[in-house]
Amino acid sequence: MASFTLFNPTPLSTSFKHTQVPLIGISNVKSGSFASLTMYRRSSQFCISCAAKAETVDKVCEIVRKQLALSDESSVSGDSKFSALGADSLDTVEIVMGLEEEFGISVEEESAQSISTVQDAADLIQKLKEDNNGAAYLE
Amino acid sequence: MAASGVAAPTRTEVLQLYRSLLRVARQFCDYNIREYTKRRTIDAFRDNKNLTDPSQLSAAFSDGKAQLEIAKRQALVYSLYAPKVKSIMDIKPS
Repeated sequence: MASFTLFNPTPLSTSFKHTQVPLIGISNVKSGSFASLTMYRRSSQFCISCAAKAETVDKVCEIVRKQLALSDESSVSGDSKFSALGADSLDTVEIVMGLEEEFGISVEEESAQSISTVQDAADLIQKLKEDNNGAAYLE
Repeated sequence: MAASGVAAPTRTEVLQLYRSLLRVARQFCDYNIREYTKRRTIDAFRDNKNLTDPSQLSAAFSDGKAQLEIAKRQALVYSLYAPKVKSIMDIKPS
């Protein structure tokens, strides 16, 4: 999957989402994840859906860790499910609230119900931030 | 007054009430009331997490809804008379 990026000679610009990138199924490509040949970002492996930046995933992991009072040894990564980490539905609501405050976004009910892993949360944050930026850009 | 006619709230409704209470807590200008509201909802919902009796569930749920109405009203009233000086806890360390 990552090898597709090697065939793309043009560098991806930072602000445009719809570049001439021949990657199938990717609607939303951020320059930091794909322009470089060295795969130093682990989030680029999840490139089927829109990829969230690694910093976003890290911040989400941090908030989850703090909410569930996990020790530093336990691993929290992109595909950890909240229920596997010991969170019940009340914890999930609190985590989503914490993410709203941290990133300054507002999550609706249906989207919040569908979050089950760290990656879901990071992708949703990414999408909401871009919608906000897009709306501001159009004004 | 028979409460048996009232249906127990569904899981989604309970979570929506929880979310609404936490959201309204954020609207308070006063740090103390904001933190209290958050703390109180978290504690109350966790205490009642294991209820199974429908009449108890609906009693707790309607209690929560009444508190939500009160909190919404009070958030509005407090915002009309918000003090100019912010609490020390709200000032971010620079």
